[in-house]
Amino acid sequence: MAEVKIAGLHKRYGPVQAVRGVDLEIPEGEFTVLVGPSGCGKSTLLRSIAGLEEVDTGTIEIGGEVVNDMRPRDRDVAMVFQNYALYPYLTVFENIAFGLRARRTPQAEVAPRVQRAARMLGIDALLGRYPRQLSGGQRQRVAIGRAIVRNPRVFLFDEPLSNLDAQLRDEMRGEIKRLHQEIATTMIYVTHDQIEAMTLADRIVLMRDGRIEQQGAPLELFERPASLFVAGFLGSPRMNFLQGRLARSGEGFAIELGGGVPRLALPQERRLDGAADGAPIILGLRPEHVGRATGTPPPAGVARLEATIELVQPTGSRSYASFRLADQPLLAELQAHDVSGPGERITVDLNLPRATIFDPETGRAL
Amino acid sequence: MTAVDSGISRRSHGLNHRLSLAADRQFKYLIIAPAILVLLLIGLFPLIYSLVVSFQGLTMTEEDTSFAGFTNYARLFHDLRLWQALAHTAIITAVALPLELLLGLLMAQLFVDRMPGRQIFVALLVLPTVISPIVAGANWALLFDVRFGPITQILSFIAGQPVTILWTLNPYFVYPGILICEIWQWTPFMFLLLLAALSNVDQSQLEASEIDGASYWRKFFKIVLPAIWPVMTIACLIRALDLVRIFDIIWALTQGGPGTMSETISIYTYVQGFSDFETSYTAAIAFLVIVLLTAIVTFALKRMEIVR
Amino acid sequence: MSVPAVAMRRWRRRHSWLALRYLAAICLTVIFLFPVYWLFMISFKTPDEIYHSPPVWYPASLQFANYAVLFKDGDVIAIWHSLVLAGVSTVLALFLGTIAAYSLARFRTGGENLAVWIISQRMIPPIAVVFPIFLLYVWLGWVDSYIGLILLYTAFNLPYVIWMMRGYIADVPMELEESALVDGCSRWRVLWRVVFPMVRAGLFATAVFTFVFAWNDFIFALVLTRTEVITFPVQVTHYFGGQSNFWAKIAAMSVLGTLPVFVAVTVMQRFLVRGISLGAVKG
Repeated sequence: MAEVKIAGLHKRYGPVQAVRGVDLEIPEGEFTVLVGPSGCGKSTLLRSIAGLEEVDTGTIEIGGEVVNDMRPRDRDVAMVFQNYALYPYLTVFENIAFGLRARRTPQAEVAPRVQRAARMLGIDALLGRYPRQLSGGQRQRVAIGRAIVRNPRVFLFDEPLSNLDAQLRDEMRGEIKRLHQEIATTMIYVTHDQIEAMTLADRIVLMRDGRIEQQGAPLELFERPASLFVAGFLGSPRMNFLQGRLARSGEGFAIELGGGVPRLALPQERRLDGAADGAPIILGLRPEHVGRATGTPPPAGVARLEATIELVQPTGSRSYASFRLADQPLLAELQAHDVSGPGERITVDLNLPRATIFDPETGRAL
Repeated sequence: MTAVDSGISRRSHGLNHRLSLAADRQFKYLIIAPAILVLLLIGLFPLIYSLVVSFQGLTMTEEDTSFAGFTNYARLFHDLRLWQALAHTAIITAVALPLELLLGLLMAQLFVDRMPGRQIFVALLVLPTVISPIVAGANWALLFDVRFGPITQILSFIAGQPVTILWTLNPYFVYPGILICEIWQWTPFMFLLLLAALSNVDQSQLEASEIDGASYWRKFFKIVLPAIWPVMTIACLIRALDLVRIFDIIWALTQGGPGTMSETISIYTYVQGFSDFETSYTAAIAFLVIVLLTAIVTFALKRMEIVR
Repeated sequence: MSVPAVAMRRWRRRHSWLALRYLAAICLTVIFLFPVYWLFMISFKTPDEIYHSPPVWYPASLQFANYAVLFKDGDVIAIWHSLVLAGVSTVLALFLGTIAAYSLARFRTGGENLAVWIISQRMIPPIAVVFPIFLLYVWLGWVDSYIGLILLYTAFNLPYVIWMMRGYIADVPMELEESALVDGCSRWRVLWRVVFPMVRAGLFATAVFTFVFAWNDFIFALVLTRTEVITFPVQVTHYFGGQSNFWAKIAAMSVLGTLPVFVAVTVMQRFLVRGISLGAVKG
């Protein structure tokens, strides 16, 4: 396995800048997920690493050597495609063996290696079949098997689970995670699904418009988003965003929402760089940090309010109640049976220590 | 921006961005080179040769390769037989093409709705198109034969008295004869294409208009015709060009006769080159024909945006 | 009127329309196939029956004498010559044309102009080309030889092959090729091991039409052959002549020359429309 370093990468397609100045360092053995909305450049980045795209400026290093001018086959990477890319006229065995044969692996070595890879993925019974006889999940395993069998130093995944139905996707996600634990090779995984990103990644690289918006461990991006975009992208249902103003309150700050709502005092320790009294801000609070009031008095830093529920959306394990605060919508997460219905008056606790404050102009967290 | 990550953009940019090495860059030229070289044999060489020779005074007997100026081209304008040949070609094209189109369309309409055994009918009807035009011509020469051809027999039966029409010799019947043979052979071509095109017309549009109370003709002109228009134009282009080049059928039936009555441009050129041995003059005609047709075709192709 | 009666009327109306269509279809088929039938029959008739006036609609019995004559006289070698010429030029055109088509499809080599030039070459009138080619071949000593005509047929078929295969190649998902590239294939290997197998069906379909074109060619064979290499259309014209055409021989030779083509086309029926229309209609 090898580490991957990307420096100053730029790539354009005609008038469109797909990747603008990306710097990224992926240590050996790490599972990195490139995630972002359509058109953010994640696939372009992946394909550039594979050698399927030529870059305009910048360098790509794999295992310490610059690979910009290298053919894909010389870079010793393996790629798993969204549409599996299986050869319909070859058996599963031959599909997996394809890369080995292309590199003129001795005949004696081919069969055992293919067998081993197939066994690892639980498809050794299917080796004699043709792709058209397989289900979607099985085909994807064959595609992964084809990648494994080559023992590459980097694995690349291009939205491999997008074509599977939800249940299969959950299953395959676990498989891929297990795979990474077993063979411990550097893996770079592209997806637009934030759940895949959260569950699979050692490190998430969230991209937008050709740039890296934020990168780090999943929980870090989740709990300490650097911008509105990151905060809104990760987590479902989406984080609540309330517009308000900052107000000095003694040693610390408070949020003024207006509309008759009392000031929300932020914890003293809360540091807000570059914050000015009266500055407009956006208060970000995830639904799981807005809940039914518990405990008297409310825990430190928590703000308690009265509200009338407007809409209830049950999901089975939880129910989400929407109501209005200072005439802005707010979503609270409640226990499944803990709510009766629209019109119910409820007391909610806002867990302000877990809130994030954003500058509405730059979108960045303060 | 959305297009960038989608497969669509990948397709439209081809593999242009994926050539990582100089060797790969050469690859695309290397694999197309042999084909281009062979194509130049018919694409470039005759053009240059004709051009050069047409400015000389060559015949099969005279080896005078000195520059003869534009005499050959001037001769083109004064050559009555040449213009007649062009006229003959124009007549054949102008008559055959619309008839083939119309008949093909009618036949296609007949078969477009589902019917069991349609495949068999279509397979059989295609036969005239795939046989050699020489065979087609010979076939009709046989049929038209005044002594023992079935056509004469049938006509005599209908007319109630013996009919003696020398289809391949009688000036009044030469063109009908040629046209019948030509239309017989190539209407199935039109039929096949138009059948496919008609099958691809949007059914939901037709049904909607039917509910709206549209008449048959209205439906045809507003929905069907626009839908099959692209295929029709291509089919007509292919047919028109083939008609202009017509040679085999006429050769088999009349050999350009009687006299020069059914001489088309192809036959005339052949005669000039291989009967009269007028090398340079033939070259001039050939050059003119090549340039003219290539220009028309290029113009038509670009207009129709066949090359995306 | 009662419901069953109305339904009955509708059924009858629909089926009478269908019956009418069948009638028309049969009439058309008879009209279009009659000439071929006639030719076929002539090849099985005795000279008496052929030259009989009024014409004999169906021979008393099927005579193979006419065919025997062709074999005895050795004329049947024309079929062999046609086979060799059409066969070899088809294979050559398919190979050169497909790799050229790959260059066009994936790399857009030469841009729109090259593509238009290539397709316009199909439209070149043979008559304009045959004369210079003839003189060239005289100079090269290629008149009346296999190689001369093979090269020429290949050249004339290339635009068609390139055009058709370009379409078939474009239908192959690029991911298959990309996957192969990453897995260790050279570009040649990708062409050979991935693209060619994927367009197999298209190759066969294009092969049929390429073959038929070369098989049916007359004018090139007429000009560029003498005695050594005679193709079947030319051989047929040898039977024309002034007063009496050897109808029997014409018919027999024509049937021999038509059968292979008919078989090939019937087998490839699925691709008929796409092949004839230069891919404009997917049929």
